[in-house]
Amino acid sequence: MSALDRIGVKVVAAEDLATGNVSALLHEIAGLLDTWVQKREPASIDLRSLPLSRGDYEELEAALGVGAVTASVDAIGASDVHETRYPGVWRVTHRNEAGEVVADLLEVCEAPAILRAPTEDTADALTRLREMLNYRC
Amino acid sequence: MTTLGDSLAASGVSRRAFLKFCTALTSLMALPPGVAPAVAQALAAAKRPSVIWLSFQECTGCTESLTRTSAPTLENLILDLVSLDYHHTLQAAAGFAAEEAREHAMKEFDGKYLLLVDGSIPVADDGVYGTWGGESFVDILAQSAKGAAAVVAIGSCAAFGGLPKANPNPTAARSVSDLIKDKPVINVPGCPPIAVVMTGVLAHYLTFGRIPELDAQRRPVAFYGETIHDRCYRRPFYDQGKFAKTFDDEGARAGWCLYELGCKGPTTHNACATIKWNAGTSFPIQSGHGCLGCSEPDFWDKGSFYKALATADWGGAKTVGTAAAVGVAVGAAAAYLGRKRQDRISKEE
Repeated sequence: MSALDRIGVKVVAAEDLATGNVSALLHEIAGLLDTWVQKREPASIDLRSLPLSRGDYEELEAALGVGAVTASVDAIGASDVHETRYPGVWRVTHRNEAGEVVADLLEVCEAPAILRAPTEDTADALTRLREMLNYRC
Repeated sequence: MTTLGDSLAASGVSRRAFLKFCTALTSLMALPPGVAPAVAQALAAAKRPSVIWLSFQECTGCTESLTRTSAPTLENLILDLVSLDYHHTLQAAAGFAAEEAREHAMKEFDGKYLLLVDGSIPVADDGVYGTWGGESFVDILAQSAKGAAAVVAIGSCAAFGGLPKANPNPTAARSVSDLIKDKPVINVPGCPPIAVVMTGVLAHYLTFGRIPELDAQRRPVAFYGETIHDRCYRRPFYDQGKFAKTFDDEGARAGWCLYELGCKGPTTHNACATIKWNAGTSFPIQSGHGCLGCSEPDFWDKGSFYKALATADWGGAKTVGTAAAVGVAVGAAAAYLGRKRQDRISKEE
């Protein structure tokens, strides 16, 4: 037994405690999904705006799970997108180039906007594709 | 002036990347995530604003906080979006050339530029304790604020007088809002302020073309609307009445609440508990020390850092009694209030 072992450090990580907020959040998601089903109105929840502990995140992830679609996007840092076990409910985590989370969202919609090709980018793509073809011919 | 959209496109940023950037900004500004496309549209069309940054009685800690990021991040991107026409510490020019740049920007963007100030302003003995180029800080501030669209007081010294104002305040240090009465002044206190809070305020101004909603201390509600205590991960221990009594007792080792060791979290409005420091690594309470209350006025003179709020000069027993009585309910209601605030801000926008 080293001298260090004799120091009675006992760490209880408060971050691991669940606060009970996840139940309320899951009910809210059910409400948003109901609106999507009835009216096709998309909605999203900014998880970082809620006081969720690490334990809460674990509880939320266990409750929603991972469904059929998983995607990653490389745009000024990585973005991870996955559909939960409940189609129409997506988890979207945006990171910057240093890997820090800059936005963490639950989106209720057909597909998150980050996965769709923006009109401006497709117009630019057409120009570049034509330039490439001219070069080839 | 070119638009932000143009300069981003010119630097090869795709629309998808820009949308993602705006989603992150929206989260940063505590707006509902659904408004991200509207933010993108407004921001792409916004003109690059001219920014003049003046440093008075300060330690350069605020600039350090803003610029010493480890990798290209959101705050760097926002900084790239403004035209920083004058900044003592960062500019290459010196002397007459530097002052000329400031005067040129003030003339060309009259009524439109943003004036950022860090440091307090000494007014004793005709302002002789702070001068450059033979002019006093008092005069330079008055001159530079004249044509500004708004003045942003960065850090606790500019916002409230800070450490130079600490008793006995030998130079009669004043805050920006003590001296500038005819312009909107936004206070972004903290010693130093969190980098993304500084840039978030700029982003809000760029997006909406006006200053954000402020509290009674002129601080943006989006970042200073809640206390450190409201969002502290040690809050459950406070609610359970579990407190560390010394820095090396059983409670301290177990990570209990630091209230009795002088933590000023319950009366301090800032975003440290959520945004954290050093690339999101930690914040004072997480590393075992109570909050000093550095984003509140006169924190330096409000009694010992190591005495509980009830015995220090912080409005004392009343605040604490209320906090204790409200207890768990506050924590549970925080999410609701946060959302309600988002709704209100989004309606106003």
